[in-house]
Amino acid sequence: MPTVIVLAVIAVCAALAIRRLRTRRRKGCGDCGSCPYRDGGCH
Amino acid sequence: MSDNEMTIGFIGNPNCGKTTLFNAYTGANLKVANWPGVTVEKVEGVMRDHDMTIHLVDLPGTYSLTSYTMEEMVSRQFILSGEVDVIINVVDASALERSLYLTLQLLELGRPVVMALNMMDIVEKRGMEIDLHRLPEMLGIPVIPVSARQRRGLDILLHAAIHHRGHEAPDRLIHEHRHASRHQHDHDEYAMVYSDVIEDKIDQLIPALMLRYPDMTNFRWHAIKLLEGDREITEKYPVDMPQVLDRSYESDIINQKYDFIGEIIDEVLLHKEQQDMLTERADRLLTSKVWGIPVFLGIMAVTFFLTFTVGDWLKGYLEIAIGWLSDGVTAALAAADAGDVVTSLVVDGIIGGVGTIVTFLPNILILFLCLALLEDSGYMARVAYVMEGIMSKLGLSGKAFIPMLLGFGCTVPAIMASRALESKRDRFKVMLVTPFMSCNARLTIYILFSEMFFPDNAMVVAYSMYLIGIVVAIAVSAVIHVIDRKNTANYLMIELPEYKLPDGRTVAIYVWEKVKDYLEKAGTTIFLATLIIWALLNFGPGGYCSDMSDSFGAVLGRLLVPFFEPIGLGFWQIAVALIAGISAKEVVVSSCAVLFGIVNASSAEGMSAFAAALESIGFGQFNAFCLMVFCLLYIPCAAALGTIRKEANSWGWMWFTAFFQLTTAWLVTFAVYQIGSAILF
Repeated sequence: MPTVIVLAVIAVCAALAIRRLRTRRRKGCGDCGSCPYRDGGCH
Repeated sequence: MSDNEMTIGFIGNPNCGKTTLFNAYTGANLKVANWPGVTVEKVEGVMRDHDMTIHLVDLPGTYSLTSYTMEEMVSRQFILSGEVDVIINVVDASALERSLYLTLQLLELGRPVVMALNMMDIVEKRGMEIDLHRLPEMLGIPVIPVSARQRRGLDILLHAAIHHRGHEAPDRLIHEHRHASRHQHDHDEYAMVYSDVIEDKIDQLIPALMLRYPDMTNFRWHAIKLLEGDREITEKYPVDMPQVLDRSYESDIINQKYDFIGEIIDEVLLHKEQQDMLTERADRLLTSKVWGIPVFLGIMAVTFFLTFTVGDWLKGYLEIAIGWLSDGVTAALAAADAGDVVTSLVVDGIIGGVGTIVTFLPNILILFLCLALLEDSGYMARVAYVMEGIMSKLGLSGKAFIPMLLGFGCTVPAIMASRALESKRDRFKVMLVTPFMSCNARLTIYILFSEMFFPDNAMVVAYSMYLIGIVVAIAVSAVIHVIDRKNTANYLMIELPEYKLPDGRTVAIYVWEKVKDYLEKAGTTIFLATLIIWALLNFGPGGYCSDMSDSFGAVLGRLLVPFFEPIGLGFWQIAVALIAGISAKEVVVSSCAVLFGIVNASSAEGMSAFAAALESIGFGQFNAFCLMVFCLLYIPCAAALGTIRKEANSWGWMWFTAFFQLTTAWLVTFAVYQIGSAILF
């Protein structure tokens, strides 16, 4: 059971990370870590 | 747009404090920098005031509104589109003479303009005075003194802008030009009145434009643009009047604008001759032909010294925290009987990979703090100026060094900053060499490997990587210049700002953004890459494997070993880490941590365990140096590649850049390894 819970937590975290990256990519963001723009888009 | 909504556009010369003013209103965290090209496209923010929703638009910094560069086009098209209700022309009061050229162009666009006279504190400090009564009389617009940095005059400026909405005709103009003109009556309508020859031509062109383009909104401006031979307007609104448009009157129009600016300056600027002695004295050394570059290298060395010493001191505390976390989680998982696979995934994989990257945060923070202080004090603009000589010898403009300087932070905005170059050819050249400048992600690799293998000279080794990056970028530019002999006159138009004490808020915003993004990257890209690497290294054709050398990762790595062998990196573990590093360069470090099962890789114990593990496979000091050189130069990270594709609008160019970088990295590391091996062994 603990194994399943830990794996489920990791899976949720991974899904959230993927979603975050995809949102930024859709906005046109290069995910560079140095974005000068407020809205997170690289323009 | 409804009555309770309005749009205000901020426009001004580069470095006039426009973005600081925009940030002060919107609370935005836009990057402020002392060089052109930071705001390459318009950026919007929203605020509420006077029961209105006010849309604020930060336009690119520009010296004029011709149609030659992208910044100028973006600004001009936006203002002409009618989307903007009021324009706030942000003017650096300490450089009034230069700033007024853009102001005169804005006035001709026929939209309501309010002038924000920024940096009055510098004017006062220099002992100069600006006649704030006379200036509006001569320009016909409200002039509001503000200090964006000290947040003074902001409410008054906004109030003036709101009340000036829809106010297209100038306020009362009280001025007689020095030259006698038949068009004196025009002073009631326009601040800028040209010589009789040009005004006569404008008078002839306006009726023709009215007849042919009745929907046109500003006939006078279009007539002036036709006389200037403006490329865009001439193509869009051709007029068949060869007797009027007998030649380009661009230089006449520019000269007459400057004559009028001269009149304004004579009347409104008092004690103009006083100079800022500190800036002048400092520039004698910092921009000197002999000392400029050595001083720059010295300042970068001090930056490194602080990054390593102060950064490592702070890093110690994070390492302790990661150590506790790892011990706590291991104990908790053991108590919960979670099993070996899950424990390995969480402790060796996630904490080992992501945790290691997080411990480098203090070093990154110190590096960016130094860069922010250098930038905001006005020094970085001098570096671009000092490097212009070298760049022009390479067939590139001094402007080309600006993206390269930004590359010390991150390659992505650096590539975007290449938009400031007018010539497409130059842009592509700069995009090709900018990734050689060592970004902050690569710093984590240098810190780890230099401290592990060169404990006594870690700082010097890491610093040498930055120098190698600059040298390779310059050498590659030189080779391209020899192949492609075409020079473009792309002069550096950079204003050397007054030296000033860095603004705490601007520096804090800059550093906070970097720290936030670094952590976000650790939580997204690096976290996912670590999971994949862990899976690749713990599963093989036979399922879960306790020995990594049976894993899929090992199989893939061994296939690549022959490619890496001649450059001193013929280890399957290193090959896997380098491939993973394309997602983000820090992943080279996190992958190594996962590969060797080191949880707290940057701590003293972690490093000695790490070094011992690497030495056990035959990876020594010299291999570590080769690894750093290869990481410095090889394929840029996925984000940088994506930006290159977007900026060049070409998949082909992106693949070419990746291939080019890889080849260069391989050849340089090959030379280092082979020559080094011949000397050392």
